[in-house]
Amino acid sequence: MRSTRPYARPTFADGGRRLAAFLAALAFFLSTVEYMLPRPVPFMRLGLANLPLLIAVDLLPFGSYIALALVKVVGMSVLTGSLFSYVALFSLAGTLASALVMRGLRAVAGPRSLSYVGLCVAGAVSSNLAQVALARVFVFGDSARFMAPAFVGLGLVSGLALGAFTQAFASKSAWLAGVLAPPVVADASAGGQA
Amino acid sequence: MPLIRRAGATRGRGGFQVRWLDALIVALSAALFLYLAVSVYGSPPSSVLVITSGEHEWIYQLTQEREIDVPGLIGMSVIGIHDGAAHIDDSPCANRTCVASQPISRAGEWAACLPNGVFIRIEGEEHIDEIDATVR
Repeated sequence: MRSTRPYARPTFADGGRRLAAFLAALAFFLSTVEYMLPRPVPFMRLGLANLPLLIAVDLLPFGSYIALALVKVVGMSVLTGSLFSYVALFSLAGTLASALVMRGLRAVAGPRSLSYVGLCVAGAVSSNLAQVALARVFVFGDSARFMAPAFVGLGLVSGLALGAFTQAFASKSAWLAGVLAPPVVADASAGGQA
Repeated sequence: MPLIRRAGATRGRGGFQVRWLDALIVALSAALFLYLAVSVYGSPPSSVLVITSGEHEWIYQLTQEREIDVPGLIGMSVIGIHDGAAHIDDSPCANRTCVASQPISRAGEWAACLPNGVFIRIEGEEHIDEIDATVR
């Protein structure tokens, strides 16, 4: 693939905190949009709010990345009114599982061998598996196995959809290109950045 | 670092090409889905409703119309059996996603109320032998 982007993440003077805050705000906004959309199947979610997290895999240092994931969980729980119920634990487990799996995959495979599509499917499926596992241990017991096919199938479909969208977004976004390769004003690089 | 920036130089790169790990991950996910689907839905057709709440489990025939009050974590869920299908008719939970779910009637189908910890599912004939008594 003729990605002009090197695999190394950009460095930030503030450790990426400002960018993490921006992405968290974006996640809140997308959660709200998602909350307004009708759902064809009660448990199906498109996972729009995961878009900022997916992009952050290649942008933020690990600390800011995990902070973004946690802030996203709190924000979504506030929006859906489940913050102080144990339902928020499911959100937390799902988001952390997907965040760690995506980051782990990126650590072993760069953009040349793994695009946002594979990254997002892996994240979505592992998020849903974590939630089924949690449901099995804490709520429904053995019955939870009946949820597994639907959750994995929905994770696959929503992961493909969001991953494809993110891939298209990432290849076109002028904003993202700016974050990844800020124009260098030093004389040493008389490159193509204008 | 400004968050909004015009960087026309790198805009509009070409189409998308599937990477090998993408294909592997999608294939593994699809295989996992198929395996789980076959193991859950591969049972013979029909016919008992199994309701789980906490440590308790209740089993009902789908042939008889009835309303069942099921105690859960935060209150009573009402499960109705109508026309051979079971449905969560009422729930004390806030989002009531469970009430919006479709009625279930075939083996492997399920519905659940996470806030109230109530799970309903349809089990196939092979499991009925293990049941000592059913409520009629």
